[in-house]
Amino acid sequence: MNMYLHELKSLRKSTIIWVCAMITIALMYLSLYPAIYRDGAHFKDMLAGYPASIRAMLGVTVDSVTSLLGFYSMILAFVVLCGGVQAMNLGMTILSKETRERTAEFLLVKPVSRTAVVTAKVLAALTVLLVTDVVYYAVASAIAFMVRQSSYSGGLFFMINVTILFVQLIFFAIGAVVSVFFDRLRSVLPVSLGTVFGCYIIGALIAAGKDDWARFISPFRYFDYPSIIGSSRYETPYLITGAVIVVVSIVTCYFVYARKDIHAIS
Amino acid sequence: MNVIEIKNLTKYYGKARGVIDVSIDVEQGEIFGFIGPNGAGKSTTIRTLLGLIYPTRGSAKIFGKSCTTNPEVREDVGYLPSEVFYYDGMRVIDLLRYSASFYGKDCTKRINELAEIMDLDLKRRIDDLSFGNKKKVGIVQGLLHGPKLIILDEPTTGLDPLMQQTFFDLIASENKKGATVFLSSHILREVQKMCERVALIKDGRIIKLERMSALQENNFKRIKVEGLSDLDKTIFDMPGVSKLENGGKTASFLYRGDINNVIRKLAQTEVSNLSIDEPDLEEVFMHYYSKDG
Repeated sequence: MNMYLHELKSLRKSTIIWVCAMITIALMYLSLYPAIYRDGAHFKDMLAGYPASIRAMLGVTVDSVTSLLGFYSMILAFVVLCGGVQAMNLGMTILSKETRERTAEFLLVKPVSRTAVVTAKVLAALTVLLVTDVVYYAVASAIAFMVRQSSYSGGLFFMINVTILFVQLIFFAIGAVVSVFFDRLRSVLPVSLGTVFGCYIIGALIAAGKDDWARFISPFRYFDYPSIIGSSRYETPYLITGAVIVVVSIVTCYFVYARKDIHAIS
Repeated sequence: MNVIEIKNLTKYYGKARGVIDVSIDVEQGEIFGFIGPNGAGKSTTIRTLLGLIYPTRGSAKIFGKSCTTNPEVREDVGYLPSEVFYYDGMRVIDLLRYSASFYGKDCTKRINELAEIMDLDLKRRIDDLSFGNKKKVGIVQGLLHGPKLIILDEPTTGLDPLMQQTFFDLIASENKKGATVFLSSHILREVQKMCERVALIKDGRIIKLERMSALQENNFKRIKVEGLSDLDKTIFDMPGVSKLENGGKTASFLYRGDINNVIRKLAQTEVSNLSIDEPDLEEVFMHYYSKDG
């Protein structure tokens, strides 16, 4: 419990910053919504003028773009991107910072097992992600409610927002498993930014084509908003793939971290 | 009972040598010195003992148990690493409280006592502390839970001489209270003053494990000779002579063996001055460590 609380405390500041960033994105774009709704026809014409592949990359669906959920799901991509970077960063630093900041000789000589250390840290990180998403969801709901032009499904709004957490869990797990193998990285930000943006761009490029199997490559494409809004459910194969990535990565993390050498200052 | 049992410990980092076939037993209540130059394998041995790294072969146990399979044995261990690093943005007292929280007992009184002894300001932020003051935080942190085994890795670097003395007094009083001390250092003076037994490590191997007193006696003599005329080099050409420095009329060397042999040899030449001293540990140490010695 003490390790868990210590981690939460040390993650406090960065969490606040990430939440603010995500809320800012939502606020900026959602505040445009009333204007776009009013000029719906013009806006649709303008978007229709874009090549179909560009629209697909940007996640734009012309027909639904003037509905609140349609518009929101377009901007949600940027929020998910932001959340993905946060999660991967968290995953990459949560264990490796002890080695990088040379505090391992403090923590890992305490009368606790490595497994307990991993558990405390993973739980703290999951708490942080959950808090981030709950706060973001509360604020985004309020903004959406204020800018709405007609009624919309709160259930679907919730469902598409939950995908932030799903994508974050995947990137967190990937980050954590990468960090136990490469804990001597000087700086993790380039790696996490590179991976997450890489996945995002690949996801956008895949979206231009319509191959279903290619969607497995990028976690950003596991959740297709038009399809969720249309069917009110997540696509099971991608949900399962995401869950497998998370479970395998975290289990590997435990296994490797418990048995690895914690190297001295290099 | 042996507090520390290291048996045939071998550790390779990939192909790089860590330590080879190290065996050390440390008895309860003793102050054990572990001496070697930088890179000899002192920290590797300690880190394996604490369960930070895994042995390639052999075992390292504390209170009869391995730290990797029984992490709870570290409950009674206090460790001061050679370089201390702590979490950013914490005050000294926060860090010490966090440290204490792992031991399930109230250490507040002891923290205050130790801070008083080491002259440490608990309210300061750790980031703002000098290297020496960080070291003090490390010392308090290592001792606040009243450990039965204290492991010190190069403990005095960064401390001023006055503080070093205070520190050694503190360790001595912990030892009187029953704590076993494992002291790693390359500074011989500190080991010489405190330790009952020492192990010398060189290039990853233990080359000597002996009582402090035996090590100093051990028939080693520092002999200085001054001749009336230039000394014949061949007279020192005998077994037991090492570290020979021969310059004209004077010669000095370490001698190990029957003292009569060297006196008989010296008697064959005209000597104007002769001194035979106990070598200090530094010299013994250099003898063991010099590549040809």
